[in-house]
Amino acid sequence: MLSIKNLHASVEGKEILKGINLEIKAGEVHAIMGPNGSGKSTLSQVLAGNEAFEVTEGEVTLNGENLLELETEERAREGVFLAFQYPVEIPGVSNLQFLRTAVNALRHHRGESEMNAAEFMKLAKEVSRQVDLDPAFLKRGVNQGFSGGEKKRNEIMQALLLQPKLAILDETDSGLDIDALQVVSNGVNALRAKDRAILMVTHYQRLLNHIVPDYVHVLAGGRIVKSGGRELALELEERGYGWLGIKEEETANSSAN
Amino acid sequence: MKPAPTLSTAFLHPAGHTLPEPLAALRRQQSSSLVDLPLPTRKTENWKYSSKYLKLTDEMAISLPADGKSGSSLAVPGYKVVVLNGIMMPEASDYPDLDGITIERFEDLDGDTATWLAERLDHALDSQSVQISRLNTARFEDGLLIRLKPGAVLDQPLFIIHETNADASGSAYPRIYVDAGANSQITLVEEYISSGTESAMVNTVTEMNLGEGANVTSIRLNMEGENVQHIGSTGVLQQRSSRFESHCVGFGGPLRRHDLQVRLEGEGADCKLNGVVVTQGKQHYDNHTTIEHVAAHCNSEETYRNIAADQSHAVFNGRIHIHQDAQKSNAEMNNKNLLLSNGAEIDTKPELEIYADDVKCAHGATIGQLDETSLFYLVSRGIGRREANVLLTMAFINELVEQIPVEAVRETAQGRLNHFFEQTFQEA
Repeated sequence: MLSIKNLHASVEGKEILKGINLEIKAGEVHAIMGPNGSGKSTLSQVLAGNEAFEVTEGEVTLNGENLLELETEERAREGVFLAFQYPVEIPGVSNLQFLRTAVNALRHHRGESEMNAAEFMKLAKEVSRQVDLDPAFLKRGVNQGFSGGEKKRNEIMQALLLQPKLAILDETDSGLDIDALQVVSNGVNALRAKDRAILMVTHYQRLLNHIVPDYVHVLAGGRIVKSGGRELALELEERGYGWLGIKEEETANSSAN
Repeated sequence: MKPAPTLSTAFLHPAGHTLPEPLAALRRQQSSSLVDLPLPTRKTENWKYSSKYLKLTDEMAISLPADGKSGSSLAVPGYKVVVLNGIMMPEASDYPDLDGITIERFEDLDGDTATWLAERLDHALDSQSVQISRLNTARFEDGLLIRLKPGAVLDQPLFIIHETNADASGSAYPRIYVDAGANSQITLVEEYISSGTESAMVNTVTEMNLGEGANVTSIRLNMEGENVQHIGSTGVLQQRSSRFESHCVGFGGPLRRHDLQVRLEGEGADCKLNGVVVTQGKQHYDNHTTIEHVAAHCNSEETYRNIAADQSHAVFNGRIHIHQDAQKSNAEMNNKNLLLSNGAEIDTKPELEIYADDVKCAHGATIGQLDETSLFYLVSRGIGRREANVLLTMAFINELVEQIPVEAVRETAQGRLNHFFEQTFQEA
């Protein structure tokens, strides 16, 4: 489904991704782990189409279609979804208005009729319950005054509403207590489907206890340095990154050079 | 050196409409005082950014006629008075004869009332800072006197539809005086619209006197066409414990100027001034506000937001003057601005003058652009860039629009603003 070949990307002239190769098939869940500064979040942002990052080399295709040629909104309409590490607060736009506009943009793209306010309200209430968010949140500004955990649940709720082909979860576990982690994990597990690929980016292995990946990759210095099954995550938990020849702080520095 | 330009004498020809003698005398007196009135230039402080938009040609000196026309048939959720080219149109208006509330045309006033009114007109405005508005007193053909007896409460909003009909070039001088007795209440909606395509100027003055404990809400919608220059002044005098709330929503034009001057004269008076302005193309809009804290223990809260697209130009000047005896004054002023293009210009100036020592006074002004991070978040969900721009721009002013107390007016404003933004970003 997703094919990444020799992907290089820079921000403000600094090369962060230095040749990523990755194949994800429909139905698979892949985890990308790695120390801070290894390029994990950059990879997520590049796939979603953030223009702050410049792709200098390589190719990315989703079901054979060249993703890099598409605008951010076109990628979303083709089924790319990024759950943000830091979801943005937008006062003045209600969560409900935001979600309905997004759902209708996708429906419109697929040639389906738009959902009216009442239909959408019903759907949104159901999905908000699935991630244990009070439907009252729908009336507030987008992420406005939400706690860290509420913001992450709102991201998963959006994934459930938008039903993407490729869901990229950027540090979705960060800042969550154990109960919130459970709720978010249940949401992600509900997303698992034969026709959907999930790419989880995480610093810690604890998320992988709740959402068991099919493959684990270690990203360091802008490259994937090791790939394996879920046992690789357990090994990293036990031994750290050192045995792979990665020193956390140096990695962070080298990628900034 | 070139002599400073002065108001053309064409503008000082006597007005045609007959008024009761005290008002006619006031008109003549003002007219003669305006001979050689200097027109503002960019060196005139209170017109610095706007003088270049003011274009008064002699053709525009002619009073726009109101004869033989019916006036706007706009449906409104409340009482309605239609004022066409400054003349009230009784047949197009619809307001009941309510106990304690009178709405009269200047033309119909008896001698005593006309004398009473002539003594009060122009007292709520500082003539030095609203120089062009002085022309209104020299030229008004008619006017509305709205009087509320003590305790009178108007049960529905009163809409005053100011229509400028510019089938020919000319100018109109609508005039309103509101005398709100002690503890009376009224919601007044002034809607400025236009028809016709010739170049015209509307020069409008509204004054209000709020008696002790009176509660007045004023909503102003400025929606005239591209051929109409608008110069408006609103003066408000507030007695003890009165409350004044103002919501101004303005769309740009060739020249748009609104001076809003509030004097808190009695202790415990309270005012809240909200304003939203949007400009596009080569449009202009200039809001000048003044709050005079004359008495002690008064509150003022002011929030204005401007959005300028394309090559348009918005100006905000907010003055707060806290007099020496106005101890325990509480004044807050906030102005935020959004530039939607590199060619747009916004000038904002807070002016604080404080002579009392025990006061709270806060102000803030910002000018920014749409937030890229927010924009990326929205488009990453499949929302089109244009729609994302509209959502974020609406969000910038929603906080203020949502405070407009009359639902139908709020919806009208929201509809117009939405249309404006969709148009703005369509072209971008």
